[in-house]
Amino acid sequence: MAATQPDATHSESRRDFLRLAALASALAPGVAGRAWAQETPKKGGTLRVGFYIEAATMDPHLSGSKIDRQVYHNIYEPLVVLDANLGIKPGLAESWQQPDPKTLVFKLRRGVKFHDGTDFNAEAVKWNFNRMKTEPKSVRKGETASIDTVDVVDAYTVRLNLKRPDAALLATLTDRAGMMVSPKTAQERGAELERNAKGAGTGPFVFVEWVKDDRLIIRRNDAYWNKQGGPYLEQIRYRPIPDDTVKLQSLQAGEIHVMDYVQPRDVAAVKADKNVVVLDVPSLADFAYQLNHTKPPFDNKALRQAVAYSLDLEQIVKGVWLNVGVPANGPIPPTSWAYDRSIPFIKRDLAKVKAKLAEGGKAGGFAFTMTTNNIPINVQEAEVIQAQLAEAGITMKIKLVDSGTLISDGNGKNFEMISYQWSGRPDPDGNTYQFYKTTAGTSLNWSGISNPQIDALLDKSREVSSQAERKKLFSQLVRILQDELPMIFIVHPIEPKAFSPRVQGYDPIPDGMMRFKDVWLK
Amino acid sequence: VGLLILRRLVATIPVLLLVTAGVFALIHLTPGDPIDAMMAESVDDSVKRELRRDLGLDRPLYLQYATWMGRLLQGDLGRSIRNREPVIENVGRRIKPSLQLAGLAMAISLLVATPIGILSAARRNSTLDRFGTSFALFGICMPNFLIALLLIFLFGVTLRWLPISGYVDPMEELWDGLRSLALPAITLGLALAAVITRTLRSSMLEALSEDYIRTARAKGLSEGAVIRAHALKNALIPVVTVLGLQLGTLIGGAVITEYVFALPGVGRLVVDAVFARDYPLVQGVVLLIAVGFILSNLMVDLLYGWIDPRIRHR
Repeated sequence: MAATQPDATHSESRRDFLRLAALASALAPGVAGRAWAQETPKKGGTLRVGFYIEAATMDPHLSGSKIDRQVYHNIYEPLVVLDANLGIKPGLAESWQQPDPKTLVFKLRRGVKFHDGTDFNAEAVKWNFNRMKTEPKSVRKGETASIDTVDVVDAYTVRLNLKRPDAALLATLTDRAGMMVSPKTAQERGAELERNAKGAGTGPFVFVEWVKDDRLIIRRNDAYWNKQGGPYLEQIRYRPIPDDTVKLQSLQAGEIHVMDYVQPRDVAAVKADKNVVVLDVPSLADFAYQLNHTKPPFDNKALRQAVAYSLDLEQIVKGVWLNVGVPANGPIPPTSWAYDRSIPFIKRDLAKVKAKLAEGGKAGGFAFTMTTNNIPINVQEAEVIQAQLAEAGITMKIKLVDSGTLISDGNGKNFEMISYQWSGRPDPDGNTYQFYKTTAGTSLNWSGISNPQIDALLDKSREVSSQAERKKLFSQLVRILQDELPMIFIVHPIEPKAFSPRVQGYDPIPDGMMRFKDVWLK
Repeated sequence: VGLLILRRLVATIPVLLLVTAGVFALIHLTPGDPIDAMMAESVDDSVKRELRRDLGLDRPLYLQYATWMGRLLQGDLGRSIRNREPVIENVGRRIKPSLQLAGLAMAISLLVATPIGILSAARRNSTLDRFGTSFALFGICMPNFLIALLLIFLFGVTLRWLPISGYVDPMEELWDGLRSLALPAITLGLALAAVITRTLRSSMLEALSEDYIRTARAKGLSEGAVIRAHALKNALIPVVTVLGLQLGTLIGGAVITEYVFALPGVGRLVVDAVFARDYPLVQGVVLLIAVGFILSNLMVDLLYGWIDPRIRHR
C-alpha cells in the first residue's frame, strides 16, 4: 500500500521519514510472523493474556466495549477479515461481488460448522443481519443501517440489498457487524448468551467459561474448518489487570504472556528488557480535540485557526507521547490506504497566530476552557498545550473530568474544546463521516460543524467504489478540515503490545485486535 | 444484650434511609449518563432512547427514587445496568475476596502491632520504642499504592516468591489462595498495623500511669503479669474502636489495593460502577457497605461490654 511505504524522495524531515519507516516495517505483512516462524509450531499450552478491564458481554451484537472484540476475534468469525495492510480478505465468505452499487452478493464457505454443531449457511447469515437490525438491545443498528433486506439466493449464497451505496460496508463487516452467531444457540440461550458463548461461534477457539472479574477461558477448536496453520494453543486464559505497572510486572515475572497495551512511558524500559518482546502495532486511532462551532469563541474560524497555529505537534508527540505515535494531519491514520502523506500536519507559526487573532477581533488574545479526561497522559498533553498557547497569547483553562462526564459534555455540546480519542475504524469512513456530517440531535459530531462541501464529499465517498477515487475525495476532505477545524488533530498513536519471548507467530493487524489462531508457545 | 442489639438495629433505620437518599442524589447529580458511558462508540439515538425508557431513566428523579425504594423494601436491590445481572449477585461474587482480604489484613496487623505497641509502651524511650514509633510513623505516611508496588517489585518481580496479581479462592485451594492474598494483605496490614501500634502504645502508656498499676507493682506482681492482666485489658477499648472502624473501611474501601493487585473485591466493583454510572449497582453496593459499617460498629459496642463490664451495666 502506498500509504505505508516510506518515500525517500519526499520532502519530509529525516525524523518523519524514520517514523514512517518504522511504521511501515511494523506493518509489512508477516514481519513478526517471519521472524518467529523459523521453528515448527508446537501444539499445546495455555496462553495467559492480561487486559486492562473486564469484558462486558459475549454477544457481539450487543457489545459496545472495545475489549470484548479482543475475545470475539478468537471465537467468532466475520464474513470478511482484515489483513496487515487493512485489505479485505475472505473470512466466512469465500468471495463477494458487487453487481451494482446497491447490491452485495456473498458466496459463503462450505463445510463450516458452529461450535454447537449446526451448519453455517445463507439462512444463518440472513438470521444474523435481521437480529442486528431488529433486536431491541442491538447496538449494531447504526453499522447495518445501509442494509435494507437480505435474500437467501441458495444455501451458500446471500445477497444484501442496500438502501444506498455504502463503500464502507465491507470494512464494517470485518468486525462485530460481520460476526456470525449460531442462530440455534442464540435462540435457545436468550439473554444468557451475554455471559455464556458456548457453541455460539465458528472460530479457532471455543468458549469454555467466564468467571467475571477473574478469568475468561477459551479452548482450541479441533474441528476448525481452516486446516492451514493453527490453532495450536490448548487454551487461552484472559485476565483483567487494571493497573498498567502491575500488568507490566506480571509480564516481566512470567505470570502473563501477553499484555494488550504498553503505556508510552513504559515503552523504553520494556524494550530494554530481554524477557519481553515489544511489537509496535500502528493503530487506526485518531486523537484530537473537538472545537465547539456553535458558540463563542470557536464559532469564529480565525480563532480556531489561531489555536491550531499555536501548537507544536512535534513537541507534543515527542514530549508527551515519547514518539509512540506520529503527528496527525487529519483524522485518517498513516496505516490507512486513504492517508495522504503529501498533506503536512499544521505547523506552529506564531506570526500567523497574531494575524488570525487580529482577524478574529481578539488581537490581545482570548481565553477558553479545554475539557479532557483525568488520566495522566491527557493531563500532561493538556499542560503542554496550555503552555504553547500561553506563548501565543491565548489563555487556556483545563477542566479535568472522568470519561462519563466527558461523553455527556460532548453529546450536550457543553464545552469549548474537548478531548476526543477515537480508536479508529479500518475504513476511513469510520474516522470521518459520523464526526463531520451535518446531523441533528446527538452524534459524534460534537463540534456541530455543518458544511455543505464536507457533506457532499462524505456522501460521495460512500457512493464511489473505486479506492483511488475515494482516496482523492478523502484528501480533499482533509484539506478542508485543516481549514475549517472542527477538530485540532494531534496524534496517531502506536499501540505497542508486549509478549513473553515464548510467544511465537503473532501477526499484528492495525485494528489492534489480537488473533491467536497461529500463535504458539515455545 | 438481645434488647441492646434490637434497640441498636432499630436506631439504624433512619441512618439507612439517609444513606439511600444521599447516595441516590449524589450519583444522579454526577454529570454523565449510564447509556452514554456504555455506548461511547456507537451512537444511535433510537437505541439509546429505547434503552433509557427500558431502564426507567427517562422518568423524573423522585419517581425513580420511589421505585427503587419500593423494590428495596421488598428486598430487591435491582439489576446492574451494565451487565444486567442482579446487584446482589454482583456483590455476592465480590464480597468473598474482600472479606478474606480484610480478615487476613486484620490478622497480620494484630500480629505485628500488638507486640510492638506493648513493648514500645513498656520500654518507653528505649531503642525498641524508637523503632516502634518510627515503624508506626512510616506505616502511616506511606501511601498504600507505593507499599504495594514496592512489595510487588521485591517479592513478585525480583525474588519471585509470590504471585503479583490475581485471586485464587483459599477455600478452594488453600495454599495458592493464601499466596494470592499475601501481598495485598501485607500492604493493608502494614498500614493498619501502624495505626494500631500508635493507638495501643498511647493507651498502654495511659494505663501504665494509673494508680492500680502502681498498686499491682507494689503487690509484687511481675512486670509481665502487670502488663497482661492489668494494663493491656484496660488499654484495649480505643484499639477495639479503631479496629471496628477499620474493618468497615477494609471491606468496602480497599479500593486502591484491590485495584493494584487486580483483586475482584467490592471496592473495585463500586469504583467501576461509578465510572460506568451504573446507578442501581452504585446505590446497592454503597447501601450494603453502610450496613456492613453499622454491623461492625455494633460488634464493637458489644465488645466494649465484654472488655469493660461497667459499660454493660450503664
